[in-house]
Formats: sequence, structure tokens, C-alpha cells
Amino acid sequence: MRILHFSDTHVGSERYFEEKRLLEVIDTINTGKFDLAIHTGDITDEGQRDEYERAKAFIDAITTPLIVLPGNHDGRSGGLALFEQYIGPSDGYRLVGDALVVFASSIIADSNAGRIGRVRFDLLKDAIYDHASMSIKIFCTHHHILPVPSSGRERNVLENAGDILDLIVNSDVDLVLMGHRHFPNVHRMERTVFINAGTASSSKTRYGDVQSHNEITIDRRRRRVSTIRSDGRRDDVDVPKRSRTVFTSFGARVLRIVHMANSFISESRLFLETRFQNALESIRELEADVVVHCGGVVAEGTQADYERAVELLGEIDPPLVVSPSGRDMNYLGYELFARSFGSVDPSYETDRVYLQGVASFQYDSTTGVVGRTGRARVFEQLRDVEQEFTGIFLHHNLVPVPHSRNKALLEDAGDFLRELVDSKVDIALTGTSSHPHAAQVGSTVISNAGSVSSIYQRSAYGNSFNLVDVYEKAIAVSEISSMWGSRRLLGMWERRSQR
Amino acid sequence: MNRSKSQIPIREYVTKKLIAVGADASIREAARRMVQFDISSVVIGNNDSVVGFLTDADLKSRVVAAGLDASRPVSDIMTTDLITADIDAAVEEVMELMARHRIKHVLVTEQDEIIGIMTLRDLVNIERQKLETFIARE
Repeated sequence: MRILHFSDTHVGSERYFEEKRLLEVIDTINTGKFDLAIHTGDITDEGQRDEYERAKAFIDAITTPLIVLPGNHDGRSGGLALFEQYIGPSDGYRLVGDALVVFASSIIADSNAGRIGRVRFDLLKDAIYDHASMSIKIFCTHHHILPVPSSGRERNVLENAGDILDLIVNSDVDLVLMGHRHFPNVHRMERTVFINAGTASSSKTRYGDVQSHNEITIDRRRRRVSTIRSDGRRDDVDVPKRSRTVFTSFGARVLRIVHMANSFISESRLFLETRFQNALESIRELEADVVVHCGGVVAEGTQADYERAVELLGEIDPPLVVSPSGRDMNYLGYELFARSFGSVDPSYETDRVYLQGVASFQYDSTTGVVGRTGRARVFEQLRDVEQEFTGIFLHHNLVPVPHSRNKALLEDAGDFLRELVDSKVDIALTGTSSHPHAAQVGSTVISNAGSVSSIYQRSAYGNSFNLVDVYEKAIAVSEISSMWGSRRLLGMWERRSQR
Repeated sequence: MNRSKSQIPIREYVTKKLIAVGADASIREAARRMVQFDISSVVIGNNDSVVGFLTDADLKSRVVAAGLDASRPVSDIMTTDLITADIDAAVEEVMELMARHRIKHVLVTEQDEIIGIMTLRDLVNIERQKLETFIARE
């Protein structure tokens, strides 16, 4: 099956719309033997009637089966009603050959933000459940679900991207097609390929890029995404369909990490001391090589909380490295953290392992950022590392986490994630949103720890920390219940990229 | 449409990773792997294909109670007549399958290949937390 994926045409923008580019793409669609063309939103610029009339004339010239879904620009000025009048339904699904193509509007009228609320989420689930046996599943929406590089600050990822991501990945959706950021990008998370299209015909590109569209080939065995730019450049990405599911051979254990976050140590009711003490007991039994605490050590950055934290965390035997959160740094936390735990960018190093902390907090803010210069420094450092296993750890999320409103992503998560994956860093440990999660993006495992002992946690399994076991041939991430010490596997992956 | 949880396909709740030992492993090695990962069952495999299955209960009845030497090959005691469910089967079908055979673990197949496992605890957990948070009605 061949799909042409284009997006963000912005028909009607006097300054930015380039009609010639759109006509070229339409010609490619009509002559390129595609089974389906998908436009992932912002077909118009301001959602005005005259723009929809023009847009309709363009799409009427397309002779291939076509799906168009709305973008935030199409929803401006009450444009969604016009979208349905001129273009078609904004949500639904289509069966094309042996593929199910589900499309959902992520539009919040007159807002640039995106959301797939409960009613649409149910429609999406039903479409997937009703067609469970289709051999190819494709989901399309306008807003990006995984952060996109070269797109500035991460403000408009879907508000509930974590839940959508969970549904998509667990349902083994093959392809997710998105637009919005005017920058093409391809990531693989578990079995799913996440594809962003650039803009097909707007001169409003990012970072000096040109217009582009994607050509996708998918069958039972392979998935190829080719990004074709208007200057003729072409990038091909091949993504294997299956990953290993039966793990027979692990080899020797190289590293055991206790990965924890959000202890909220204090004298306040926010801190659940029994859970913390029980977790310490489990940590002792687990005989880890290193304990990585990804922020939220104390409830507040006060003298009393830090004194208690030093006392309790002092009971941990393996080396402890801490990457702070905004909460740890607040009030006098900035001074107290340095005195209690040392550098805000600590590292852990052995002959075989190198883990680098990356402070992502901002003072008196919950928003995280690393920034261009900071990022360049981190990845430069990691490039020079000779150890066979590398990792980074920080407080803020790099990918959306289920059961949370998506506000804890690193502001520059798009660029950070791209560099992380391209640098083939083996693992990234994060610690916010208070829900445990682990998934592999490219060859990088991303583990998010829940809350070890704070009352603020979102998992029905209760407070927990993660256990990361790195073997010669595999990596396993499990969640350990703080209270009971019981273990639940979050994910396991083959180790391929040994240096 | 409001679909009850029992009518949902099991796909999104299946653990799509199987922890295994080779068919030439001893019973002791199989037990150690179960301890290593704190799991209640282990798959016996050759390369990527599954040839047998072993649970906590099997170790109790077929090894400890029977007084069997744990250094014998796991293939002597593993279950080879595997009970499986398709990954697109509904939750209620898998519950019924478990009840009918009085088992707490079902291996899951996709295109006739065993790729995952579903336990009774996984079925109970479906009731524990909804798939999604009520972020907004819209």
C-alpha cells in the first residue's frame, strides 16, 4: 500500500501560500500510483469561506482516494462548520484495502492547542476495536503526539497525548500521521511509526527548510517513509515491523539501576514515610549498582526538608545521583541542594557505564528546559564517551506519559528526543507526571518513574519506583511497588547498539 | 457506543514480551529465571519459537511434591499442549478459556505465532485503571 501524506497547505494565506507547490503535490498524487492521499490539517489559513471554496477546488482535482482532517487554522473563525460543509467529516475511519485508517479532529475551536477529548477518544477506541483484525492500522490527527524537532518550544502537543499514545502503542497501530509543526520527522516507538509531515505549500517553514511531503509504503513486512522536499532532496527511513518478543538469552548483568522520583521527603502529609521506608528496604535487597533520583527529593526546598532527606537518603548504600526538579530548587533549595547532594549535573561512571544528569529545572517554575547550548554540551560529552552503555537522567518528560495532562514535557523535548535517538543513547531516565512508563524510541529506552512516596501519584498500582536491569543482550524495566516490593514488567528490549 | 470492558480485544493488555529459557535448560535454571524476574511462569523456547510452558504451580506439583531432581531438563516437566488465545480475542473469551481449563496463564498468538502472555492478574488489572483520564468531554 502506498500513501501520500501532505499537510499544512494553508490555502488562502496571502503572504505564505504557494499555489505552485500545492499543484505539484496534487500532480504527484494523481500520477504516482498511490492507494490513498492523507492531508493532516490546516488546509486553510484562517478557516474563512473563500479559503474553503478555494481549498475545495484543489482537492476536487485529486483523483486518488483522499482523507482530509482539520487543523487548528481550519477551526479559526468558527471554521469547523465550514470544514464539514466543504471538505467532509472531521472524525471517522475508512477501510482501504487491508488497512484501517482512523482520523480524529484534535481541534479546540479558536485555539492553537490540541485535544482528543473523551467522546472522540471513545470513537477512536471503537474504530480500533471493531476492526481489530485489519492487518494495517493507521491513525491520523493534526497535532503531534511525540515532540517534533526544530519546531521551537513544545507548546501545542495534544493535551492528552499520553493517553492517546498509550492506546496507539498498546493497540499496535502501525502508522500515526500528523502535521502542525511544519517540519518533517519520523520516530519509531515500540511497533508504531510516528510521522510528521512538513508543510506542502506554505512558505512558513522552520529553520530555513523548504516545503515537503511524505511518501509511505507499508505492507505486512516493511514500512518505508520517504520525505520528498520541494528542492528534490529525499530522505528514506525504513522501520522494521516486528521486534523481539521471546527472550531466551540475557547474558550477564552489566548494570542494575534503581530509578526513583518524587519522594517528597518532609514532615508534611505529602510524604508517605512508610512507603518510603519500605522502598528503602527493597532497594537494600535489590543490590543495585546505582540509585538515580530524578527530582522531587523534598516536598519544598527548605532547610528542614533537606535535613530529613539527607538523613533518609543517607541510608541508601549504592552510589546515589540526583537530578533536581523545580520543587527541589525552590526557596533556598538551590543552596541546600548543592550542600546536600552536590552538582545539579551529576554523573555516574564505571568501566562499562556512563550516566549523565541533565538539570532541566527552572527556578520557581514547574516547566523544564535544557536549551540549545546546554543540549549541545550534553550530547557532545556523550559522543566522547567510550563506555558500552550510556544514559542520561533528568526530571522532565521527553515523551508524553499516560494519565496526565501533557504539561510536564521538557520545553525543548522535540530537539532533545531527536538528538537522544540519533546519538543512540541507550537509556533516558525521567521522573515527573507521577505515573510509571517505559517505551523504546528508536534504540533508546525511555523510563519514567512514578512517585515513590508522595501522596500525589496517578497510578492505580500505587507508589512505586523503577528497576532497570541491563544485561549483555537485553534491557528490562520493571516497576517495584513501594509498599509491597512486588514487581511488574514495564518493558523489555533487545540490546543492539553495543559500542 | 459504550462497550463493556469484557468485549474489548485483549491486544492492548497483553504483555508482548516473553521471558524464556532454552529447551536444554534444567528445571533449576527455569526456576531461577522466574526468581530473577519475579514472574509466576516461564516460557521454554528454541530461538524465537515457543515449545513449552511452566508455572509456579507446575514446579510445586511436578517437581517439589514429586521429589524430582531439579537438575533434570525442564523439557521433562514443561507443558507442551499449550492453551493459546488470539491477540484479537475479546477479554470475555479469554476469561472463559481460563475458567474452562482452570488456568491462570494464557499464551497469546498473533498470526499463529506465540508473541505474548495474559494472566488472570492482568484481567483483574483491566478493572483497576481506565485506559484514559477524563481530560475533557469534547
